[in-house]
Amino acid sequence: MNNFWYAQNHTGMSRVMITGATGGLGKAFAVECASRGWNLYLTDLRPDLLETLAVNLRQTYRVRVDWQASDLTDPNSRAELIRQAAEDRAPFSALINVAGVDFEGPFFDQSPQQIRTIIRLNVEGTLDMIRGMLSLRDPLAPFRIINVASLAGFYPMPVKATYAASKRFLLDFSLALRNELRADGVTVTALCPAGMPTNPECIDAIDAQGLMGQLTTCNTGSVANETLNAALRGKAVVIPGGLNRFLQAAGSLLPGVWVAELVGWRWKAARRKRFAQNPAAA
Amino acid sequence: MTGATSGIGLATAEMLARRGANLIGIGRSEDRCRKTEARLAALQPQASIHYFAADLSLQSQVRAAAEKIRASLRTDGINGLDGLVNNAGTFTYWLALTAEGFETQWAVNHLAPFILTLELLPLLQAASGRVVTVSSDSHYAGRMHWDDLQLRRAYNGLHAYENTKLANVLFTREFNRRLGGRSGVKAFAVDPGLVKTEIGFKGTPALVRWVWNLRRSGGVSPEVPAGDIVSLLGEPSVLQSREVYWKGGKPKKSSRRAQDDIDALRLWVVSEKMVGINQDRQHE
Repeated sequence: MNNFWYAQNHTGMSRVMITGATGGLGKAFAVECASRGWNLYLTDLRPDLLETLAVNLRQTYRVRVDWQASDLTDPNSRAELIRQAAEDRAPFSALINVAGVDFEGPFFDQSPQQIRTIIRLNVEGTLDMIRGMLSLRDPLAPFRIINVASLAGFYPMPVKATYAASKRFLLDFSLALRNELRADGVTVTALCPAGMPTNPECIDAIDAQGLMGQLTTCNTGSVANETLNAALRGKAVVIPGGLNRFLQAAGSLLPGVWVAELVGWRWKAARRKRFAQNPAAA
Repeated sequence: MTGATSGIGLATAEMLARRGANLIGIGRSEDRCRKTEARLAALQPQASIHYFAADLSLQSQVRAAAEKIRASLRTDGINGLDGLVNNAGTFTYWLALTAEGFETQWAVNHLAPFILTLELLPLLQAASGRVVTVSSDSHYAGRMHWDDLQLRRAYNGLHAYENTKLANVLFTREFNRRLGGRSGVKAFAVDPGLVKTEIGFKGTPALVRWVWNLRRSGGVSPEVPAGDIVSLLGEPSVLQSREVYWKGGKPKKSSRRAQDDIDALRLWVVSEKMVGINQDRQHE
């Protein structure tokens, strides 16, 4: 659509794999990549949503879009996805790990199954995808990995303990892997966004945080754009939003116990307010 | 009539029903559709009044709605449409992409009227019908960002809204330029003014609801723009005019950007690509 802009940013992306592609942020990444003229391979749970998105991206942006439904908590499903993606021998030059899950609530309110799902998807799924996709990389181009961590990855977070710790894992893992693979032309970027208005529950939660929610929230479209630009420059960490960068910097100066106290106080208050307004959400 | 279960759409539907018009309404909620259909039918028992539910943010559902309209006219033995009112509009504070990957306001406010009008064009041609698209004076602040039309990369709900309302005027302009003469169908864009509707309350944060509640208190009732729409649909005199943008039954000067023929053409071509229609080819 705008050739000058496209040419400036064209870095020879052959194909981009996006997990969690039909969720709010995944969709924003898919549309942003397609609008840059990059071919896509999408995955998520529901085949109907993948097909709908793929049809429209092909039509609007004239790029190649393949998809395969998969459940990334399941090792067999992950292996099958990599097999399918390898099928036509078209190489990849980027992997965007968006798929992730949280079941918000105190640790003992969550079922063991829910806890396992968080670890399996956020940690195991992401690591397996990185290993699998690097075996399919385009040898003639740099390879970009974007891992969607979270601002939660910087803090111990009561009420989101397992989730925040899984994101901390991704954050540290990304930084270390980036160093390991730098010489091979692989960049690893950890995206650490605050809450994003991706579905009615998230919007509800943002609303319950009042002014703070308004100020820390960034739209998925600008996050996707900013993150892709950062990944092309090989940046290690992306924190969208000025206030979020400040909060992260301020948080890093305090002892972890204090941060947990503060975050716990804020989240519990927001939850009380939210469930007072809408008891059904509890 | 799209968006025919609340606000301006409901007021217009009611006005048309009272005058004995046969009417097909589109609404988002099945439940509200059934209720409104029953209420309007009671108002005018001899008219044929049908309501269909569709989520106009999805192209697939806009096309399905067009199919239902065609089928319903066939059943009633009616072989044309005298008017199409593209009234449905939405405001979304946070960026939300539809399952088809489009920004929601762009999809509902611009792409849906674009698709529906082209889908129903043969029926409108059969009756030398009119197309009325509800724009807004917020189009004066709108502009086409050609490298990011849907404002995905720098989203602001209000700016995105303004741009879609500018798109409504540009669409109407280009429709008349390319199809006005040969199709016998004429299109108008309406400025409803500030109207007491629920648009700012639907799925918006508390702050937005508060602002809209304050702002709309200075607005007129939906019957005012409804009267304008009804007169554009029926009044013979307006057919002689070459004006695109109307308020209070009179032409109104639209923004400078809304009078740009190149932009109007460009928007049409980009929109065709977004919805997978090639209108020139269809007419060859």
